[in-house]
Amino acid sequence: MKKPNSFNSAAFRFALLIAGMFGLGSILLLTIVEYSLRAYAAEATAVGLQAETAVLTEDWPDGGKQEVIDTIRQRQRSAYEQPFHYLLRDAGGKTLAGDLPPAAARAGWGHVTFVDDTPQPGEPGDPEMLQTLGTRLADGTLLIVGTDTFDVQKVRDRLAAFTIGSSAALTLLALIGGYFIGLMFLRRLERVNGAVARIMSGDMSERLPAIGMSPELDHLSTNLNAMLDRIAALMDGLRQVSTDIAHDLRTPLTRLQQRLEAMRGSDTVDAYEVGIELALGQINEIHVIFRALLRIGMIEGGERHQPLTPIDLSELVSRVAEAYRPVAEDTGKSLQPAIAEGITVIGDAELLAQLLTNLIDNAIVHTPEGTTITVALDMESGCAVVTVADDGPGVPSDQHSKIVRRFYRLDQSRHTPGAGLGLALVASIAGLHGVKLLIEDNKPGLRVTLRFPSAINILGGAYDTAEEFPAGET
Amino acid sequence: MKLLLLEDDEATRSHIERTLTAAGHVVDVCSTGPDAVFLASSNEYSVIVLDRMVPGFDGLTALRQLRAQGVSTPAILLTGMDGIRDRVEGLEGGADDYLVKPFAATELVARVAALARRPPTVDAITTLRVADLELDLLKRTVSRAGRRIELQAQEMKLLEYLMRHKGEVVTRTMMLENVWSFHFDPQTNLIESHMSRLRAKVDRGYGTDLIHTVRGSGYRIEAPAG
Repeated sequence: MKKPNSFNSAAFRFALLIAGMFGLGSILLLTIVEYSLRAYAAEATAVGLQAETAVLTEDWPDGGKQEVIDTIRQRQRSAYEQPFHYLLRDAGGKTLAGDLPPAAARAGWGHVTFVDDTPQPGEPGDPEMLQTLGTRLADGTLLIVGTDTFDVQKVRDRLAAFTIGSSAALTLLALIGGYFIGLMFLRRLERVNGAVARIMSGDMSERLPAIGMSPELDHLSTNLNAMLDRIAALMDGLRQVSTDIAHDLRTPLTRLQQRLEAMRGSDTVDAYEVGIELALGQINEIHVIFRALLRIGMIEGGERHQPLTPIDLSELVSRVAEAYRPVAEDTGKSLQPAIAEGITVIGDAELLAQLLTNLIDNAIVHTPEGTTITVALDMESGCAVVTVADDGPGVPSDQHSKIVRRFYRLDQSRHTPGAGLGLALVASIAGLHGVKLLIEDNKPGLRVTLRFPSAINILGGAYDTAEEFPAGET
Repeated sequence: MKLLLLEDDEATRSHIERTLTAAGHVVDVCSTGPDAVFLASSNEYSVIVLDRMVPGFDGLTALRQLRAQGVSTPAILLTGMDGIRDRVEGLEGGADDYLVKPFAATELVARVAALARRPPTVDAITTLRVADLELDLLKRTVSRAGRRIELQAQEMKLLEYLMRHKGEVVTRTMMLENVWSFHFDPQTNLIESHMSRLRAKVDRGYGTDLIHTVRGSGYRIEAPAG
């Protein structure tokens, strides 16, 4: 595995990306600022010139030419730097006042290049570009007011220098930060990768450390750990089941072997026939175990099954109960159906029939004579509820959750036929249907309750969906 | 009867062939789908027995082709797959019966017999008769020697199924599937309990028994010989 370094870590790439975005944004910003400044400066200059012209010519012609000349001179003499430069020429072209070059002398808007050396004589200033406004007065006198155009170029240059400088600094910071964050990430991920490697090499008890840095990453590692827990549980289950299968098959296989060995010494045809019959019986027992396991596997493995369709649960429960009534009677028990009519649920008729037969089979096989078994179907707050209950010896309440496990058998039923798969199959079929399976004390006896997620009572006409198929509680 | 058997596994094939031959049938065997299609479309068979899982061109594909060609010979699919969906697929593909491996030889023999003699116009019959036992399919009444016998709904269905297959062996699985639509084996002796009740009502007190137990297989309803 190629060892990743911080320069191609995700964090560094992010930093690079962000730096790039920042640079692009700066250029855009700069362009917009320059454009706006230019427009603003032009407007501000124009407004300033117009206002100054208006002030100077306010009293014209009453105040006389001299007053304008005085004002101009006064302003030029002012200690403060003046924003404006002037030129006043009479109709004959003679300059009356002002320091603007003659080239500026024209009416309307114009530009002129001007070298200002007044503030520090002897040291020629930079040539400036002035914006001028020339106004022809009533007696032909021309008043020119000029001001330096707001130096957009200069502002832009400064702004650019600032932006580029700060961009570079930020980019550098981002990259350095990215590098270190990348390093940090890598170090943390390395720990996670180490844990993964240990898990892959077979240590299923290892768990991923928290990645840290942010809640979503911790959430990820928590979820991965939950997944590992689930996988470990499944593997444990599988190991357990494999052991159980091996163990459970050993009994019928041993009996089969003994049967066949005993037959070898037989000397009559009858003995052979009886032996073969019994051996076939043993083999059948093994097949039953396999078939039940395959069924459970198929249902729990989520293999494609028949789509669940609306089925008449009342008919199904009655059919199964009726089928078992004689069996119950023959074994000295009584089966009491209490089945409400017209209840339809969404399900797989064949699997539900198997679920019910398993429950009733159990109730018949594991109870003594004289037991009453009740098979009931009714609606309870919009849910179809099937109950199979008996008043037999029951099951200790601490075993209730265990009896649905594969191959789990109560001590007292070790010697009754069966492989301990009936309720496991019931649980997986219930799970497939989103049916809640409840095993309770019937005081006395055992009561198994199946609560369907929803049901339609055709007779009542009510359509009720209490819950949308919750995960089967098994 | 002349039967066709498609089965790729050598040991299974010869075992099934022996079983069916022992039951008095003439069996043509083949081990590939195309052979089965060729044989079945060029010969008259009473029943075709197809293994579903044959590498490449499997039994179900062969059956679909035959049905598409208009060959309506009754067919049984043998399969190692016990999924409900697999069975439905098989039946939709044109199979008349479906048998999950492993199965008892007698089971296959019984099912082959049941298929071969399936009367073509079942609906035209309104009364089933075995000796002096009569079942009126329209009125849903049963009488023996003119005397009315009261049967519960399930007993009626069970008797009807037996009588429709009179003279043939009907296995427990066949009854579970056809009378109760149970496609699995209950732990308890469901069939025995029902049969003992049915026999008590139909046979007890009439001198001659019509319902017979066939050891290791199932039951048969039959008029006494002679």
